[in-house]
Amino acid sequence: MKNRADLIIYWGGNPAECHPRHFTKYTIMQKGRFIPNGRKGRTMVLVDIRETPSAKAADVFLQVRPGKDFEVLTALRAVVKGQRVDAAAVADTGLSLDQLTDLANRMKACRFGVLFFGMGLSMTRGKHMNSAAALTLAAELNAFTKFVAMPMRGHGNVTGADVIMRYTTAFPFGVNLSRGYPRFNPGEFSTIDLLVRGDNDATLVLGADPGATMPQPAIRHLSQTPTIVLDPKVTHTSRLAKVHITTAATGITAPGTVYRMDEIPLPLKPPLVGPYPTDEDVMRRIREAAERKAHIAA
Amino acid sequence: MPTLTLREPPTVPLEAETITPDVTAGLTLDAVRALPVYHGKRKLTVGDFFTVAGEPGESIELHGDLTRVKWLGKGMTRGAIHIHGHVGMHLGAYLAGGRIDVTGNAGDWVGGEMSGGMIHVRGNVGGQVGAAYRGSASGMSGGTILVEGNAGIELGMRMKKGLIAVKGKVRDFAGLQMKGGTLVLMSGAELRTGAWMQRGTIVSLAPLRLLPTFAATCTYSPTFLRVYARHLAVHGFTLPLAGYTRYAGDSSAFGKGELLVYTTPQ
Repeated sequence: MKNRADLIIYWGGNPAECHPRHFTKYTIMQKGRFIPNGRKGRTMVLVDIRETPSAKAADVFLQVRPGKDFEVLTALRAVVKGQRVDAAAVADTGLSLDQLTDLANRMKACRFGVLFFGMGLSMTRGKHMNSAAALTLAAELNAFTKFVAMPMRGHGNVTGADVIMRYTTAFPFGVNLSRGYPRFNPGEFSTIDLLVRGDNDATLVLGADPGATMPQPAIRHLSQTPTIVLDPKVTHTSRLAKVHITTAATGITAPGTVYRMDEIPLPLKPPLVGPYPTDEDVMRRIREAAERKAHIAA
Repeated sequence: MPTLTLREPPTVPLEAETITPDVTAGLTLDAVRALPVYHGKRKLTVGDFFTVAGEPGESIELHGDLTRVKWLGKGMTRGAIHIHGHVGMHLGAYLAGGRIDVTGNAGDWVGGEMSGGMIHVRGNVGGQVGAAYRGSASGMSGGTILVEGNAGIELGMRMKKGLIAVKGKVRDFAGLQMKGGTLVLMSGAELRTGAWMQRGTIVSLAPLRLLPTFAATCTYSPTFLRVYARHLAVHGFTLPLAGYTRYAGDSSAFGKGELLVYTTPQ
């Protein structure tokens, strides 16, 4: 996209503040092989519920009403295909039909479009269906031009977790292995839903802090059942856990690999030496201890 | 009729797809007790969790708090299951025939990808009722699901045939990506009803907030509704026969679906 993308859309995200290097390193500011004029050769569209600092960088800013992204994306899919939409119902989303038609025309006319969607889309009412709408729109635009969609990830290396789960189990998250083979069902096997229903009787937390972000019933279940945390520092989750194993900080005192948002693996070289074992080390030792115990029991 | 009573609720979900009349019909009570169930990752037996009494037969009666018991009646083709109390996810998934009755609430995925038979839930149900499983092209392809209480999100997602009727409130995305079949919403639904539907019919007796991709076409009294009204009246669901406004959509998808919204006569 650095070399080719001439239409960049950010939807429900604020890259100027949340991903400050995104503009300059990958998208609008770069001069690319087929975009010799850099910023002048690209159009940036920002869709959000409020005018964030990212709006200053945008050529077109579209302000939707909160929770109306699914409606806008669905209407956009219809407009792209030349189908009829109800102008009054479109106006209810905060955008006019003219704005939607203009955006649809830009999308169809570009040579290579990219739709980045942030947590303003994936974490509001409709959740996975909002993401599905963004992905379907991008997929359908390939009938006219080259178009891709990519999520703007929040925390460090969440992409890495998805990638590893995908190549080991074929599914990125929400996987259950209790029957000996992977089963995928978000809503049934995804972490928050399991914890809220209280379906698990123990939790191992690896490089995450659910105690800071998850809803109250989930946190209550974490504190009432055995929870084991592997983390370099004290977190909300480690405070309510039964066991907290301090591990080395990856990239500081431990080597490792992080995955960039576009799934490029980047190796990390630790500059310091620390006293703590790595996450991998701890997990391996736990597994070996469990195998020994199973062996003795047998 | 074998009667299974859950002694105490399992600590983690219990996957009990073996509890269906197809499996138990020819079995003695001891053989029923020996049937495998999965408690988390552990393979145990029905007898470890349930007391089994009564006579062997074509129908099964279940008692106790079955909220964490999943996959009851999976793929059953005949007989009946009577559940007294609440029940967990995937009740009657892949149902092909027979009948399941629940006096309490049921979890998500009731009648997922069922192809025939009938499920009647007196309480509330979770999300994805009669829906397609993840990665599957189509949801229920026949049969009837009746719900007296409320229903969760994605009711009848990708359903192809069959009938779902809900008396209580329904949450977002009812009839998501529907390919056929009929949804009857006696108390309407929240947002995004019929999103991305290709074909099929959604009947709502309460006003709906529609997506921009639906268009009003006419007011009419569809003749086929008489057939559904007669079928549903037996089970205490009363459908008015006239006074519907027809909306067509979803124009972002194939767009041959119809939403029939009942408008109270002036």
